[in-house]
Amino acid sequence: MCPCFHPVECVIPEHMLESIATHGTSAQRQAALNNIRVVYQLRAEQAMRASFKGLFDSAIPRAINNEKERVIYDAMRRDTLPGTVARREGDAPSSDPAVNEAYDGGGTTYDLFMKEFGRNSIDNRAMRLDASVHYRTGYDNAFWDGTQMVYGDGDEDLPTDERLFNRFTIAVDIIGHELTHGVTQFEAKLVYSQQSGALNEHMSDVFGSLVKQYQLQQSASEADWIIGGGLLTGNVNGVGVRSMKTPGAAYDDPVLGKDPQPAHMRAYVNTVSDNGGVHINSGIPNHAFYLTALEIGGYAWKKAGQIWYTALRDKLSESSNFQQCADLTHQTAGELFGVGSLEQQAVQHGWAAVGLTVSESGGKPKPSGCLEATLRFIGAA
Amino acid sequence: MEFTQIKFERSGGFANIRITAELNLRDLSDEQAIALKELLDELDFPKLPTKLTSGETVPDEFIYTITVETEKWQHTIIADGVPKDAKIQELLELLNRLARKKMRNL
Ligand SMILES: [Zn+2]
Ligand SMILES: [Zn+2]
Repeated sequence: MCPCFHPVECVIPEHMLESIATHGTSAQRQAALNNIRVVYQLRAEQAMRASFKGLFDSAIPRAINNEKERVIYDAMRRDTLPGTVARREGDAPSSDPAVNEAYDGGGTTYDLFMKEFGRNSIDNRAMRLDASVHYRTGYDNAFWDGTQMVYGDGDEDLPTDERLFNRFTIAVDIIGHELTHGVTQFEAKLVYSQQSGALNEHMSDVFGSLVKQYQLQQSASEADWIIGGGLLTGNVNGVGVRSMKTPGAAYDDPVLGKDPQPAHMRAYVNTVSDNGGVHINSGIPNHAFYLTALEIGGYAWKKAGQIWYTALRDKLSESSNFQQCADLTHQTAGELFGVGSLEQQAVQHGWAAVGLTVSESGGKPKPSGCLEATLRFIGAA
Repeated sequence: MEFTQIKFERSGGFANIRITAELNLRDLSDEQAIALKELLDELDFPKLPTKLTSGETVPDEFIYTITVETEKWQHTIIADGVPKDAKIQELLELLNRLARKKMRNL
């Protein structure tokens, strides 16, 4: 393993490439190469995490009473985080709607994870839910920075008739989406690039949408499955930024362009933009989840959500790809509801409809001989 | 720095609305052109490393790709939304404002 902590600078030693090149099929060689890239990045991150673990863990702010605790800050349109405290747990509502949306949305997300999945906050150890609103000016984004949620106000700095976005706290599924990035950071740790990155995005969309459905008490067939509903202004021809029900159909607008999400493996988008299309190809697993939940019926968080949450917590790992996600959610459904159960069949049908056939063993595919040898060579297996 | 064209792309972000623009001198006011040229000079743009990412990936942060072309050379940098350098930040924000404006005035 190379000694530095800069994944982008890592290079695969030539002798290792040669050794791969003399083994296996070309598909195996390609798989090995792809995996080496991910493994290199992981090992650098793991080494860094391990060396700071004690520090990080004690630095995480946690609720004093081991329950829900939210702190909403106002960044006052500056880029310094977190900003000034605007509302603490138990405080009366603020006069600022963004503060209240961040507070309420964080609360609903906490409740869904706690009451339905038995998870106590982001780290399952009562991590305090910190969020900052009014981040920068003209900031048309929301993100999870590793420790807190951050929300911009859209393009509020432009004249009304040119604005495309409203404030990013306006949709509760955006809040659920960002919080779930935190959950993923503590569980599967899906690397934010290519297929594992699209799965990271997928999980955030799944639980984001479930937070909205939970808040509205909607069944799978009643829900709109739109991500970011209400985020786009009336100047845009669109209902949101993504659709799990109909990926690719959320918006089609002269200024924004067309929703680029595929709904099937045959339309998978290869791109260097967006960390390898993490917000684009997530349309494929998103649609598989939607179909699964619809086939099972009822409230989507009760069964489909339970299957996906368990897979995220116990089965998926840093470099998981779409096929592995299909296999592992199928395996999880078998464990939770029985092999051959209607729930497990629904998972199989969901993935099949987007072009992924779950493997019968339902387990994690064993690395091929060449890949295994290569991983052993660099000390990853 | 006498550039002929600047290509700008912003991808990623929660909404993943791609913003792209090819900015030529004629797209810019004199003031904007001067501000840009000064920034590129101060940054010594052609000597900047290609990757200006912070190392740890931040979910839903933006990714920027900027290519500056002059008569003599062209150079591309990729930066994420959290560059440590204030001048880079200034360049990203200026280009984003210009690209955003151009995009809305199709
Ligand atoms: Zn390295
Ligand atoms: Zn995201």
